[in-house]
Amino acid sequence: MTEKHDPQKRREQLPGSLALFLEEMRSRLGNSTDIIYRLLALGPFSAAVVFIEGMAEPQALIEALHRDLPLYAEIGGADPRAGLQLLQERTITLGKVGEVRSLEEIEAEILSGNTVLYIEKAAVALSVGTENLKQRAVEDATSQSVVRGPREGFTESLRENTALVRRRVKNPQLRIEERRMGASTRTSVSVMYMEDRVDMTALEELRRRLNAAKLDSVLESNYIEEMIQDKRYSPFPTVYNTERPDVIASALLEGRIAILVDGTPFVLIVPALLVQFFQSSEDYYQRSDFASLVRMLRYLCFLLALLTPSFYIAITTFHQEMIPTSLLISLIGQREGIPFPAFLEAFIMEVTFEILREAGIRLPKSIGQSVSIVGTLVIGQAAVDAGLVSAAMVIVVAITAIANFALPAFNVGISVRMLRFVLMAIAASFGLYGMVIALIILALHLCTLESLGVPYMSSFAPLRRGAQKDTLLRLSQRMMKRYFGQS
Amino acid sequence: MYTKSLRCILLLISLTLISGCWSRKELNDLAIVMALGVDLDKDGYAVSAQVMNPGQAGSLSGGSNGSLPVVTYKAKGTTIPEALQRMLSTTPRNLYLAHVRVLVFGEAFARQGVGDAVDYITRNHELRTDFFLLVAKHSDASTILDVITPFEQIPANSLYSSILVAHKNWAGTGKVTLQQFIVELERGGSNPIMSGIQLQGDTSEHGSVKNVQSVIPKSLIKQAGIAVFKKDKLIGWLGEAPSKTVNYVLNEVESTQGSITCPDGGVAGFIITNAKSRIKISLNEKDEPEFTIHLKAEANLTALNSSLDLSQTASIRELEQRLEAKFNNLMAANIRQVQEKYDSDIYGLGEELHRQYPKLWRSYRKHWDEIFRTVKVSVQSDVAIRRIGSVVQPQQKEMEQK
Repeated sequence: MTEKHDPQKRREQLPGSLALFLEEMRSRLGNSTDIIYRLLALGPFSAAVVFIEGMAEPQALIEALHRDLPLYAEIGGADPRAGLQLLQERTITLGKVGEVRSLEEIEAEILSGNTVLYIEKAAVALSVGTENLKQRAVEDATSQSVVRGPREGFTESLRENTALVRRRVKNPQLRIEERRMGASTRTSVSVMYMEDRVDMTALEELRRRLNAAKLDSVLESNYIEEMIQDKRYSPFPTVYNTERPDVIASALLEGRIAILVDGTPFVLIVPALLVQFFQSSEDYYQRSDFASLVRMLRYLCFLLALLTPSFYIAITTFHQEMIPTSLLISLIGQREGIPFPAFLEAFIMEVTFEILREAGIRLPKSIGQSVSIVGTLVIGQAAVDAGLVSAAMVIVVAITAIANFALPAFNVGISVRMLRFVLMAIAASFGLYGMVIALIILALHLCTLESLGVPYMSSFAPLRRGAQKDTLLRLSQRMMKRYFGQS
Repeated sequence: MYTKSLRCILLLISLTLISGCWSRKELNDLAIVMALGVDLDKDGYAVSAQVMNPGQAGSLSGGSNGSLPVVTYKAKGTTIPEALQRMLSTTPRNLYLAHVRVLVFGEAFARQGVGDAVDYITRNHELRTDFFLLVAKHSDASTILDVITPFEQIPANSLYSSILVAHKNWAGTGKVTLQQFIVELERGGSNPIMSGIQLQGDTSEHGSVKNVQSVIPKSLIKQAGIAVFKKDKLIGWLGEAPSKTVNYVLNEVESTQGSITCPDGGVAGFIITNAKSRIKISLNEKDEPEFTIHLKAEANLTALNSSLDLSQTASIRELEQRLEAKFNNLMAANIRQVQEKYDSDIYGLGEELHRQYPKLWRSYRKHWDEIFRTVKVSVQSDVAIRRIGSVVQPQQKEMEQK
């Protein structure tokens, strides 16, 4: 809980004189050069305009004040309250004006980009909404691009983001709750939902978790995600994130809750189910039959990315009788002279690939390309030629990697990457038998997971027949009742 | 809490590591046995194993040292497993038996009885039950495994696929897997068969690449009809026509070729595209079973060297009748021959009797082999000619008309 929400405790009277006020502000905000104190004489009153350069755009306010200076002179040395009234009614043409009654509030307003107008002797100061952050324009959502569908992605500005959602859901039931989180950063965090569709117990639970979250700083939505997720040690994500406003809009319409964090384009959605991580917004923008096929392809990719290397290890080191004879002959021919056991071979290749991928992400785009060329050449060709790894293993690793990239949600791809290594180790020591046991444990684990009280594996376990229209398949809009929590 | 779960994880990890990758076999530690041969030896068994040479067989570019894609190892022992163990003294790797494609018995060994060998093979968990059993006609199994074949790098594969192809399109040979052999052996009212193979041609250099370095390979492995067994002992061989008869009766014919003479003395060739047989049993007045084999076949005309007018339905009917007559006579004669010569019920007539007249079977069960010799078997065939090809009249006849 930040001070904003509990102003009663530290309530102080505003200092009576301008000099005192300035001194007080300087002691609170320090002598930072970007904080501008502009002194004015509004007729009989001394006033000060305080704002932060770069965050606030108080030009219009100051110009208006100068324009109306004669009016203030007319009022004469009378009541400062009359001056305030004049200010609010005539001079200030900007939309958001509020009275602030304590130094704490003044400080908070200034820090969030508003301009504070202090008038000597008045018991209140005015906070004017001049917030004008230099921000990135709305651009393509780079992390989840589509062929067909809206291209807009969220930006770093919370207001902009809520507006992007509002623009898609012009519905009076859309609610936004705002709070500040992070004791030091005081980041704005908005909770968005549809009043008539949201599951109230889930919303209540989310509020409880947000209130309970003790955070010093919130610089990205993951800070919040880690505080509200259900099981901390599960490799699977129970919070969905996206930078696409259309995805948020459709989630809200399904009765889910979105959490927007100022300063990041990534918005969270809860509750998140496993099936959601296999859906892409484009599924709904393309023909439903095609979308269904693509969706099944993604489930296949999930299995491939998870199991290919471990399955290869298991059958080549334990279950050679399962390989068709002609394939076995070719596999043996390739493995001839490879100095490592199959597990080590797979492990080396997978780790090399992970290194390559990590290097590729961090590098500037122009260098990244050359890294991948060197990587493919070194791994794909030279390693096979040198007889360090077999050609079949290169194919296995390549299929795994490509299947991994085909998963539409990056965070479920991460889980797959981690589990892949675990399964490889199990396959190397216990063969298919161990793999089957590991997969059973994995299935059990998935069934125990919940996201904000909703079973993670629904609508498979517990099975809801009605909801199957949008899980493995994507049926046409006519046949779908798109309403989360209704089946 | 943390230390406890951490300990648990450490224990689990050590569990996977301490087990030492039980029964792990890397691919390049295995010698894949593609074919096994069993021969008679004075001390027991002489076993030969055709082992794949992965450096040669698997790689696309071919190996470097010019060795052959397979190596045949030989060893002797009082039991087959003992012989295989002894073989390890000459092989560089462990023998892996799961991919055996064919198992060849030498004729001498087969005549003496294959029961013990089959016992080991079914007992061993590594071996599958779906490979083919073969008898080497007039030779040892080891000589068959020595031959280098064209096309397929691995002779065992060549054998395997030639059995499949020959069985599917020619039907003059058997396709007996271990599973089938055991079933036939264990059943009271039938005796097993195996397919035979034989070396053909000049065998002086059959084991070296020179064998295939000419357009006409010096020696080839050839399908040699069906080997008739009585219990587990080989008792004789069937030629092409009797072998086909066996396959017709056992419902194993997929397609085959045949010919008949036409009314005017010409020849008509046929391909049988579909054949189904059923054994019907009727009891005569003395309550003895009589067997009728009902064969329903579909045929296409493939060649005609005759003045027959095929545009007439009657002539097609004529051909059908001739085909039926040929089937009836030839098959009955072939069955008769087996009855008299081998008194071994390879057609499974006894089994059929067992099924249709279980009570009657009880009185025959003990001495079925003697009764089989005298039992009456007739063939009733029904042939339909479906297609006569893209031309109606023979080319020759058309030329004459012009």
